[in-house]
Amino acid sequence: MTGQKRQIYRSSWLLALAISQGVLSASADELVPAELADGVARYALDTGHLAPVISLAPTLTGDSADYLRARVLLGSGQTQEAKVLFEEVFASNAHRAESALELARLEAAEGDSSAAVRWYQEANRVGFGEIRQQAVFGLAETARSQGQADSAGQYLASMDDGYWAAVGYMNLAADFAKQDLNPSRALVALRVAMAMAVKDQDRGRSRDLLDQLYLRAGFLSVRTEEYDKATDFLEKVSLESYATPQALYLHGVALSERGNYRAAMQSWHRAKKFPLAFPGVSDAWLGMGRGYDVAGYPGQAGESWLAANAAYEGERVTLGKLAQRIRQDGAYKALVEDARGADAQWFLADSRTLTQPRLAYLLRFLEQPGAQAAVHRVAKLDDLYLTLAGRKHDLDVFIRAMEGHLGEVGSRSGNSARAALVSKHERLSATLAQLREQAAGSGQAGKLGYLERQLRSSAQRFASLDGRAAGHSKAINTQLIQARQLQAATGRLQEQIRQVRVSASAMLDEKALAFVAAEQQRMVHALDKTEQQIAHLYEYLALENIGEGLR
Amino acid sequence: MKTLFGIQKSQHCRISPWNRGLWVSGILAALVTTSVAATSLDEQIERLTSEVTRHSASVHALEQQLLHPVNTRVAVFLTLQNRQALDLDSVELFLNDQPVASHLYSDTERTSLEQGGVQQLFVGNLADGSHQLKAVVNARSANKRFVRRELEHRFEKRSGTLRLQMTLDARAPDYEPDVTFREWK
Repeated sequence: MTGQKRQIYRSSWLLALAISQGVLSASADELVPAELADGVARYALDTGHLAPVISLAPTLTGDSADYLRARVLLGSGQTQEAKVLFEEVFASNAHRAESALELARLEAAEGDSSAAVRWYQEANRVGFGEIRQQAVFGLAETARSQGQADSAGQYLASMDDGYWAAVGYMNLAADFAKQDLNPSRALVALRVAMAMAVKDQDRGRSRDLLDQLYLRAGFLSVRTEEYDKATDFLEKVSLESYATPQALYLHGVALSERGNYRAAMQSWHRAKKFPLAFPGVSDAWLGMGRGYDVAGYPGQAGESWLAANAAYEGERVTLGKLAQRIRQDGAYKALVEDARGADAQWFLADSRTLTQPRLAYLLRFLEQPGAQAAVHRVAKLDDLYLTLAGRKHDLDVFIRAMEGHLGEVGSRSGNSARAALVSKHERLSATLAQLREQAAGSGQAGKLGYLERQLRSSAQRFASLDGRAAGHSKAINTQLIQARQLQAATGRLQEQIRQVRVSASAMLDEKALAFVAAEQQRMVHALDKTEQQIAHLYEYLALENIGEGLR
Repeated sequence: MKTLFGIQKSQHCRISPWNRGLWVSGILAALVTTSVAATSLDEQIERLTSEVTRHSASVHALEQQLLHPVNTRVAVFLTLQNRQALDLDSVELFLNDQPVASHLYSDTERTSLEQGGVQQLFVGNLADGSHQLKAVVNARSANKRFVRRELEHRFEKRSGTLRLQMTLDARAPDYEPDVTFREWK
């Protein structure tokens, strides 16, 4: 063990205990057999319940011990210490690829792309399976973000079929679509991504990704006026997906361009069922009027546009109220907490997800990475606060119980009960000895032997009771002092969290209000368009009336 | 410039280049400030996470000392033997016919168990003597069957901590769930 590692090792684990002045002994290591300790630590890390295993971590042994310790450090917010330990693990014989991948991600998060690339390459070199795929994906993404599409493509070509390669090709297709006027390169990349995504073993993940890919391919086909191809892609999008409203709108566009207005209006009608927050829905409302107009029903067209107008106006009111609630209660409550809908039954949860306006706005808002980070900060702080509230409650209960227990110990003599136990033990021993003489057969002897062992065990415990009881009150007093110190520390930490949450919440509110303002602007544009259409229609009808009058 | 509504006069520059420079630098400064604020906030949150985790560990250790005296403590651990054979839905645990623990598994927990994780399913206290542990396992087996099995184990509790490991297994071709119990000294 190197000096630096030893220092981190010591500081991390002693610090965990130092908070209680080193008096609280670790209990998890007494409870968990050494052979199961690795597995218990792994399960706790995977499920995010770190507190019970912090005291277990120093006792871990075996090949995975240092890797698990590094993960505990990372999970408990000690990133720099975790990085050093991951480097040590990488230099050893086990978990080399996992450590390299963690290091690459940490470097990428800190913005050091050359160090990230170095670690991704190491993970690629020593890893296999899913770890290797993630490492090559990381390399491809880094190359892509630096504008090196060819290099990214080479990395992707070396990957196995599956989810990570599919996501890589999808991102590459997005870059091609931005750069090229002709989307053929992007469409080829999307087709490759589709072929890769089909091979993903996780069916749900594969379905979601394929929906995204079909939608993108459909959009590009509409843009290049290849409407048959577009409808083929768009008809493959699932009807319960986040991409459904936009796919329905584009499907309508492709059909209308081929002159099939009736079928186009059916698609738009289905898109209209979704909240206006989703892309394509406001256009679908407009499209309905346009469909009637082109089909020669100006009256119906006018009604459709008026209905669209009313829907947009209603949405502006909803957005205004949402902005007001964000200012009043904060974006986290207005957008995130209230969108959860505590009254939702589990069997309705899926169908509700895409039809609730507030949830739709939340999903749209969370499409921005900055918004995700802002929501994550507030959610994490709330989670920490709740954890501390739970601990505070536990400590209150412990303190009351210990105070009560010390009071009882002081007022209790217990001598008569003790004498009764001694005489009962003697009586039982004598009875057993008598029965032992009369026992016939191995069955009876076995039962008596078991009872004798029980009685002997009780006698031993009784004999050592005085010694143990003497230390008991002292131990409880020490624990009471510790509990009170921990309670005070809980209050201090809660206050710190409250202060940091104010800043995090303000940052989130700012982003959410900007998003709502942009959405309001989008509704204003949609409103302008319908009003323009209605004006054109009235103008046309007026001219028709004049023409008829002249005739 | 020709537009949809006829010839439109081209507009002169409304903001002088000097002023534009000031605006651009102002916007950049604001962006940098926001990004720095977010980074410092993230650092504060990371530090708090570290402190809260350590604090929770201390409270947990105290809780274990107070609630589970060493002499009477019993802990039950769950592991999977065959990682592909069963998709665990839930486990219910009964000690002497009293329900003591039940757990509904999420995808994350299931994956962790399949990758060698060990779940500490129950920690409690028992008097010395003979006891009965019953586990009710609900799972989907590799041959796409839903299975519910009750499995029993009798054990003797003596003075000191008793650690019981429950290992769940299912073997081809019928993938019938089976549990083996092991007592750790």
